[in-house]
Amino acid sequence: MTRERIRLVVAVAVTAVYLLPVYWMLNTSFKQQADVFARPPALVPVPPTLSAYQSAVFDDPDIGRGLLNTFVIATGTTLLTLVVAVPAAFALARLRIRWVTPALLLFLAVQMIPAVNLALPMFVLFGRVGLVNTYAGLIIANCSLSIPLAITIMRPYFLSVPGEVLEAARVDGCTTFGAFVRVALPVSIPGVITMAVVSFLGAWGEFVFGLALATGDELQPVSVVIAKLTNAFGTRWNELMAVSAVVAVPVIVLFVLLQRYIVAGLTDGATKG
Amino acid sequence: MTAVLDRTRTPAPAHRPRRRAGNRTDQLFLLPAVAFVAVTVVYPLIYSVVQAFQDVGLREVIRGGADWVGFANFADQFGRAEFWQALWLSLVYTVGTVVLTYAGGLALALLFVRRFAGRNVMRALLMLAWILPTVVGANVWRWLLDGSYGLLNAVLRGLGLIDGDLFWLGQPGPAMVSVIAATAWSFAPFAMILLVAGLQGVPTMLYEAARIDGAGAWQQFRHVTLPALRPVSVTVMLLIFIFAFKTFDTIYLMTRGGPGGATLTLPLYAFQEAFEFRRYDTAAVATTVMLLVPLVLSIFYFRSLRREETA
Repeated sequence: MTRERIRLVVAVAVTAVYLLPVYWMLNTSFKQQADVFARPPALVPVPPTLSAYQSAVFDDPDIGRGLLNTFVIATGTTLLTLVVAVPAAFALARLRIRWVTPALLLFLAVQMIPAVNLALPMFVLFGRVGLVNTYAGLIIANCSLSIPLAITIMRPYFLSVPGEVLEAARVDGCTTFGAFVRVALPVSIPGVITMAVVSFLGAWGEFVFGLALATGDELQPVSVVIAKLTNAFGTRWNELMAVSAVVAVPVIVLFVLLQRYIVAGLTDGATKG
Repeated sequence: MTAVLDRTRTPAPAHRPRRRAGNRTDQLFLLPAVAFVAVTVVYPLIYSVVQAFQDVGLREVIRGGADWVGFANFADQFGRAEFWQALWLSLVYTVGTVVLTYAGGLALALLFVRRFAGRNVMRALLMLAWILPTVVGANVWRWLLDGSYGLLNAVLRGLGLIDGDLFWLGQPGPAMVSVIAATAWSFAPFAMILLVAGLQGVPTMLYEAARIDGAGAWQQFRHVTLPALRPVSVTVMLLIFIFAFKTFDTIYLMTRGGPGGATLTLPLYAFQEAFEFRRYDTAAVATTVMLLVPLVLSIFYFRSLRREETA
């Protein structure tokens, strides 16, 4: 075997072992309740069954509602983030404005703040203005962290738009807004997709704000619903894994479809330059 | 996945006016974002620090208004063994996570920086551990670590390493090890990506020179790779430290801070003070302390950036 072959074999083995938890989740979710207690456990579910999905997901209105809430919150967060963060990233990359460095530092520093530090005062402040137990409150809370992150991800894409092109557009009579919408934005679509996906995924898995700000059952995101039900599941691991898989699947699908953007966003955002 | 920090573009030179100053209305592009962050992040943070100096219970939260008590809350917390225990556990958890994540990330990076078929696909696949929602990862780990029917124990039994059941999340020491391992599992691919980029930046000349001098693989790693990787390593460790120090969800979902408070790190402690005991003031003391740690670290972080840039 050549060295490259050996490397390939080692890498496949490492990747397989590393993602074993994900496989084990799917494996368990397709098992019968009784098979969960097999010792040693079966490596494949024989026969595979959807019974855990039926009982824990489709027959459980709490989970369905949680998924719907999560979807609404994640979508709202993504849209608001786009509207606020894209122009800001453009301004920080390409406009001659004041306070560029302080603003960049602010957005960077915000990303280091623990969510708990925001969730506690938000619970009090949102309570005063009627935002506890509302979609709006949860979306705003999620955006507090996703907007700074999105700006950080988006800005490099605008930096790669040559300033001369924008200058030319302006000389030709474009307003700044026109140059932004007609010139800068179209060539920065990959960046917009990246930040949208990262914002959506972040809000999809969010837990702390949901736990603190959705005190009633009605608007709780699915992450909080699962945490609440965890004890109720007891040893029904196949059902817990089925619910987990349902939460994970949209993430996995988005990841596979848009993997190029996600990995690029994560790596570019962190290392280039 | 909570944050991706951009270590390069931070102190980018501000664009100074060349011929004419920018339009005043240009400011409007940035204003909404700054205003949003001011209202939803800066204001709550200040509010919370102020609460740490007030007497705030459930009544004050509902009715508003609170008495100023100076440093009484701090004195109360600093006199409590539980507070110091939480801070200590936070440090144990954070340092453990940094060490394990860095070691794992570096091992992965050393493998995946090499050329072979399917490398990029596998690298991307590993990132799944990083982007998987915490609630999913945490529950899967709870199941893997289950004492009676969990996969880990089945493997350990098969290898003859343990006899009978080992309840990982039911005992203080193993519970801490478990939450650290689960966290490092999700963080390591992120560290790998940064470290791969770092490794690619090491000039191959250095390795050639080392080989000519008769250095073996280990010596090359020790005397070429590690020193050249230092700036990236510092960045990775600082980022992971900050991520881990603020982690709430993984620990809460896996152990709720138990057993017997053995994994009750500072974020969980603060949350418990506020939402279980309705002591918003002492919770604010805990979060204020939590704020200081990343603050001090960010200063280190930005300094290391500066040095890197001038180097």
